[in-house]
Amino acid sequence: MDRRRFLEVLGVTGGGTAALAGCSTDQVEKLIPYLVPPEHQVPGVATYYATTCRECPAGCGLHVRVREGRAVKVEGNPESPVNRGRLCARGQASLQGLYNPDRVRGPMARTADGRFEPITWDEAIARLAERLAAASGDQIWFVTGHETGTFDRLVDEWLNGLRSNRRVVHEPFAYEALRRANRDVFNVSALPTYDFAAATYVLSFGTDFLETWVSPVEHARGFSAGHGFAEGRMGRYVHIEPRMSMTAMSADEWIAPVPGSEALLALALAHIIMRDRGAAVPPDALRLRALLAAHTPQGAAARTGVAVETIERLAREFAAGPSLAVAGGIGAQHPQAHVTAAAVNVLNYVAGNVGRTVRFGPEPTVAFGGGYGDLADLTRAMREGRVGVLLVHGANPAYASPAGLGFTDAMGRVGFTVSFARFLDETAMAAHLILPDHDPLEQWNDAEPRANVTALQQPVMQPVFDTRQTGDILLAMARRMGGRVGARFTAGSYKEYLQQSWQALQRRLRNSQPFDVFWAEALQRGGIVTESPPRPVRLGIGAAGAIGEATIWAAPDEPFTLIAYPSPVLHDGRGANRPWLQELPDPVTKVTWSTWVEIHPATARRLGIAEGDFVEVTSAAGTVTAPAYLYPGLREDVVAMPTGQGHTAFGRYAQGRGANVYHLLSAEPMAFGGVAHYAAVTIRNTGRHERLAKTEGRNRQMGRGIARATTLGALVGSETPEAAHEEHAAHAAPVPERIEHILDEWQEAQYAEARRGNYAGEHPRWAMAIDLSRCTGCSACVTACYAENNIPTVGPALVRHGREMSWLRIERYFEGGEHGEPLETRVIPMLCQHCGNAPCEPVCPVFAAYHTPDGLNAQVYNRCVGTRYCSNNCPYKVRYFNWFDYQAPQDPTFAWPEPLHWLLNPDVTVRAKGVMEKCTFCVQRIRGVQHEARLADRPLRDGDVVTACQQTCPSDAIVFGDLNDPTSRVHDLAADRRGYRVLEELNTRPAITYLQKVRNTREA
Amino acid sequence: MTKRVLLAAGVLGVGAALVALRYGAPSAGLRAQQDTTAARSAYVAPVDVDTARLPGPKQPVFYRHDIHAGQYEMDCRYCHFAAEVSRSPGMPTLSTCMGCHLVAGAGNPEVEKVRAAYNEGRPIEWIEIHRLPPFVQFPHNLHVAADLTCQDCHGPIERMPQVYQYASLKMGWCLDCHHEEDVTTECTVCHY
Repeated sequence: MDRRRFLEVLGVTGGGTAALAGCSTDQVEKLIPYLVPPEHQVPGVATYYATTCRECPAGCGLHVRVREGRAVKVEGNPESPVNRGRLCARGQASLQGLYNPDRVRGPMARTADGRFEPITWDEAIARLAERLAAASGDQIWFVTGHETGTFDRLVDEWLNGLRSNRRVVHEPFAYEALRRANRDVFNVSALPTYDFAAATYVLSFGTDFLETWVSPVEHARGFSAGHGFAEGRMGRYVHIEPRMSMTAMSADEWIAPVPGSEALLALALAHIIMRDRGAAVPPDALRLRALLAAHTPQGAAARTGVAVETIERLAREFAAGPSLAVAGGIGAQHPQAHVTAAAVNVLNYVAGNVGRTVRFGPEPTVAFGGGYGDLADLTRAMREGRVGVLLVHGANPAYASPAGLGFTDAMGRVGFTVSFARFLDETAMAAHLILPDHDPLEQWNDAEPRANVTALQQPVMQPVFDTRQTGDILLAMARRMGGRVGARFTAGSYKEYLQQSWQALQRRLRNSQPFDVFWAEALQRGGIVTESPPRPVRLGIGAAGAIGEATIWAAPDEPFTLIAYPSPVLHDGRGANRPWLQELPDPVTKVTWSTWVEIHPATARRLGIAEGDFVEVTSAAGTVTAPAYLYPGLREDVVAMPTGQGHTAFGRYAQGRGANVYHLLSAEPMAFGGVAHYAAVTIRNTGRHERLAKTEGRNRQMGRGIARATTLGALVGSETPEAAHEEHAAHAAPVPERIEHILDEWQEAQYAEARRGNYAGEHPRWAMAIDLSRCTGCSACVTACYAENNIPTVGPALVRHGREMSWLRIERYFEGGEHGEPLETRVIPMLCQHCGNAPCEPVCPVFAAYHTPDGLNAQVYNRCVGTRYCSNNCPYKVRYFNWFDYQAPQDPTFAWPEPLHWLLNPDVTVRAKGVMEKCTFCVQRIRGVQHEARLADRPLRDGDVVTACQQTCPSDAIVFGDLNDPTSRVHDLAADRRGYRVLEELNTRPAITYLQKVRNTREA
Repeated sequence: MTKRVLLAAGVLGVGAALVALRYGAPSAGLRAQQDTTAARSAYVAPVDVDTARLPGPKQPVFYRHDIHAGQYEMDCRYCHFAAEVSRSPGMPTLSTCMGCHLVAGAGNPEVEKVRAAYNEGRPIEWIEIHRLPPFVQFPHNLHVAADLTCQDCHGPIERMPQVYQYASLKMGWCLDCHHEEDVTTECTVCHY
């Protein structure tokens, strides 16, 4: 009997996930109980398991909420030092990897006519064993993704047993340039940890540290702590890149130098610091004197296009306080990116930041291995027929490598290719045998995301499909083959192998507990954290020589430089088959379900390109076509495209969507061993046009004062307050006395109502505060909201009609950027404001929209008849109408094809066609906590209720609580002097207080 | 906290013997147990019931609440163990049934169905009777904590050979009680 069947329907729970079918009882529903109750599961009560996120190499800790044996929500693990309970959008969407309808459901083999046909596991393993036995050691190659823990060692040992050392690690964002620079300058090939919280001055050289770079959630937390306004203080952040990335949107100043010239700026800054001795320059840095002497600010200014005064000022500011410069982002990975990173290393060293804000771990082994160069070697070997058996795990090189490499073609010359892929991605499609791995949420595994952190992964539920963990397959294979490789492994299963490795770890830590206790504790906490001091690094002897006469990359004689930047949503393309991520608007452009080419409006005007015109972008490597998006956050000689789309396989949500920017990149490994993400291109308007599926309306505020900002100077009193919104306030009509009176009376009556029954005592008034000086626009909250509240994804056609259902959206506005003013970007999370005097409520003819005594603007789905008057009357446009039946399998708008519907939150109704919906302030969480408090006979405390958006926010920008509790955080923040309410002149009395963004503009 | 869960007072008398006659001799252990409770048992579930005339849908197994909850006075929460701690009362797992029926009720054709299902690893698909629309959230635990009995909503379950829907479960019926007891009638307490 398939055990999973028992989990499918359990008892009378799970009703919330069923269709909103009305009160009729004519349908017969079955109650199917378990045969044997699973351990620790009470129907209707959630269980949480600690595990580790494997969506990117950062290795954030997870708490997975499991109801009736199914994972329904992932949240960050507060005990993980990496993410401290927070998570990004990709992490939130890991559930859609687990329940993806396009997962490979069992082992498959390719038939003679090229199709895949299901086979049994025994047969699959037998076939692989036969091929392995026939191949000689050096013909066996193994490609894996980035692995840092026990699995990494297992693969090496296993290959070693087969007398092979042909291990290739393919991680598209492997930071080869940064690692090379660390080796050149510090003799350390590892990645350090960056302390953004301790830095009062951050300088990013094209590094998207809030998006994909190294550990974005950790950086966002540190950055918001260091840069968020608090008690009259905040850090300053300057971003240097030809394109304004999502990370750069948070910068106080954006400097767009000539593409590829950042190294010169970094060296010029180091030159000035050395010259002025502004910081305590370490004595051995004097060895760099000759190198730096050659890089004068004047010389840099001439070649970077940045004014000498700006360079001098940046150097002064950088040297003044604890500062941090970062480089090595994929979006800045031009052919000389290692020189940029080396120059920034020198800058940090000269300013005394190494060891303070840049800390190298005690163990240099914790590092990224491999790089693109190894993949190029493998491709050559394949083409030359030197590869007998190719095993691919956790990587998709056929997609995420430049087309010129010819990986897919070369695969045709491999004797036998085995893929452990969970999806039929581009690489798996070219394989002979597919042995699907478990999803990371179904696996035993571990990872060492960085020094001192060893994170454990445990299965949070039974496998959804007939998959097997690759570790188990390798061990089974070793046992079967016996001899040299069989003798190496004593473990019967991968879990046992993992435990052996943890026993060794326990011995290394000199931990004297019984192993069971040690193991159980680690499982509960999600891993272990050890303490060890950072390793001091010194300037390498060859540091100056490595930089030498810094060669800046100059685009060949083409009019435009293309930046193929890493998508903060789809990453290197691995997120493309997750509908949540496809529908999540790109934080910068607000485009969904597509690829686009970012072009500066002035350039577009010159070339006669309008938004949505298909533009042909041609580089030496190839041509791709994608619609144009006019973006003012670019130099005029630069165009930009995100990674992640253009899949030819991978599943229904990814396939045939957008264009693959890798087709424009050179296949030649750069000097640092990676792919250059810059290319010289020409662009041409094809004349074809398509409306972009974007959620952006106007990109300017038109004086509405929605996302407001002030300057640090104004707040600390050295400058007069910004007058930007005074004209705006004039629109507000005064509220007549009598209306005030009526509103007060009405509110009193509501409170009288609240005193009855369950919620007697101090009546809460639920409210939220959103700090715009912390919000980075990363959109993790948006995906968390989709996950928590069963929000359907609607697809690009409906997004074009403005019918996306995102209860919470991030609006992005531009300020300035014209007539020589600096461009500024503002982001603001927009959700139901739960107005005290809500315009939606009085217009509802059936009282479906009404006000609860505890201050929620409620929407009663079973009352709603779909007049949509409420939405028409809402000035914030935060109400969403179910135009279609998103839960009907026969409809093209079906949002949850089996088994995707397993992730539905059983505590939240799935709304039917014809019903209006909107943010509820996570009322299910409020009621859940109130019920718990009532059963425990205790009052609610501030912080008991945490909304899904607040829970996941990596920069802690959202605070939720009871406004009537004078001790609550939200009560304080509502009265903050930065506080304002959006469109408050309409007298809507929102429950959401926004705290103005603060820009740390240069002190005069 | 006082609980009036399962008001039914049952006295076991001749019933035990009749059941034994009808379904074959119960095992020694169970007989002993019945004998000790015999003195204070009041209710005896009828041996023969006209199944054609019973209200409610016919279930795959003719499970009799009137015998288990009525005659044997088993606490509802013995099987529906989650009612007190969860919003969901929980359907008893087959292993809960087998806790007694490994031994008890041998030869009874309905018990044999349960045993067969358990041995084959096949769950029994009960027909749902008390079904709330999916936009209603009903926490069992809070209602149990508020000293409501199971019977208040589910009716005289301990007298039902076959379970039927006792209350309408319509919103007006909920609200009658909420008004009477001065409990909140706030929409978002149940609808979200």
